[in-house]
Amino acid sequence: MAGILRIFLALVLVIGGGAALYAAITPDRLTQSELQSIGEGDAVAGETWFWAGGCSSCHAAEDAEGDDRLRLGGGRVLKTEFGDFVTPNISMHAIDGIGAWDFTDFANAMTHGVSPEGLPYYPAFPYTSYARMDLADIADLWAWFRTLPEVAAKSADHDLKFPFSVRRGVGIWQTAFFREGPAVELATDDPLIKRGQYLVEGAGHCGECHTPRNMAGATDFSLWLAGAPAAEGDGIVPNITGGSGGIGDWSESDIAYYLESGFTPDFDSVGGAMVEVQENMAMLEPGDREAVAAYLKTIPAHDSPAR
Amino acid sequence: MLKPLMTAFAFAMLTQPALSAEDPVATRKALMQNNGAAAALAGGMMKGEIAYSPAAGKAAIAAINATAVTMGDYFPGGSDTDPSTTASPKIWEDMAGFQEEVASLQAATAAALEVSGKAGPADLAAFQEAMGPILGTCRACHEGYRVQK
Repeated sequence: MAGILRIFLALVLVIGGGAALYAAITPDRLTQSELQSIGEGDAVAGETWFWAGGCSSCHAAEDAEGDDRLRLGGGRVLKTEFGDFVTPNISMHAIDGIGAWDFTDFANAMTHGVSPEGLPYYPAFPYTSYARMDLADIADLWAWFRTLPEVAAKSADHDLKFPFSVRRGVGIWQTAFFREGPAVELATDDPLIKRGQYLVEGAGHCGECHTPRNMAGATDFSLWLAGAPAAEGDGIVPNITGGSGGIGDWSESDIAYYLESGFTPDFDSVGGAMVEVQENMAMLEPGDREAVAAYLKTIPAHDSPAR
Repeated sequence: MLKPLMTAFAFAMLTQPALSAEDPVATRKALMQNNGAAAALAGGMMKGEIAYSPAAGKAAIAAINATAVTMGDYFPGGSDTDPSTTASPKIWEDMAGFQEEVASLQAATAAALEVSGKAGPADLAAFQEAMGPILGTCRACHEGYRVQK
């Protein structure tokens, strides 16, 4: 009798442990009640989110100019310390791209980092920021996506080092590090600053490169936008707070001008990965660049971390 | 009396070649500083922070042109590992691509000098039209051939 009880208890533990593990590795999804209030998106409004989100910078071809920036066939290789990420085809091609998706699939990818098959996405795809977007704006973006061309190009697999190559493990990473809510708490109701916060922390995903990460690749919110080693190559992504090594001596109009023109206040030019980001930012309404500038002048100042 | 002096001078020329040949890293840094200062003058005028004058406009264009026609020579093999350099290794990994960027800068400055005439672009609008393509080449090259900083 006692033997049977022991076996039963062991089974409960194994099954319970398995269920907990399964819960940890299986990403969450949007609920029906979250989704049902969202109407049909507006493609024109969605274009703003397309440029703010920088979709082209990873999913269009490397040297794409003009309308080719709307051809989202993927295939770019991001060489990082975790291995090589290859950006997927997110064009409207039904087989190679995401043309067969519906809004629920798209919204789950953007806000929960989960594929239609229930697999977690690597956070090289910055859903960790996009999750801060309103579903209504994601619906507009999806409407815009639906207007984009089909590109026939098979997505290649990532070439990652173990253990990062175990995609299910990303589910555990999400459980541990995927944090919703604002990156910084700002004691202000100024609509311009709030708009800037929404752009920078959400679609713009500025923190993904400008904020240092911990050993597990998770954003260190205590050093929000304080600059970080570049994910690719040996460079440094600059501190864009007001602290030492940052942009405290830039005025709001300097920041807005930089995002529009690509020139710093002393007329050095934009460089590296920021070139494409700046070109995207130049596509926004002037008021949105002013909002980003107002937000950056409001956030806590951090000195550049010692390296 | 003169001969020893001449000999000494000739000897000095032989043993102390110009800074440029001896120290390509310092030379290219000086050239990029020249570009930066000229771009700051150009940008200040374009933003209306500095009053425009044709002579200043031409000075900015001519300064960048001088860099454009010389800078390509100061990235010799081996200077990528000089301890004082901060140039991107990508320049040496793809020297042909880098030199193409230099050539497009040269084309832009040559065209701008041409339209500048003797006195320089007559007004700010003319200057902006001449300068625009030059400034566009900055980012094109800095996108791929500069270390992020």
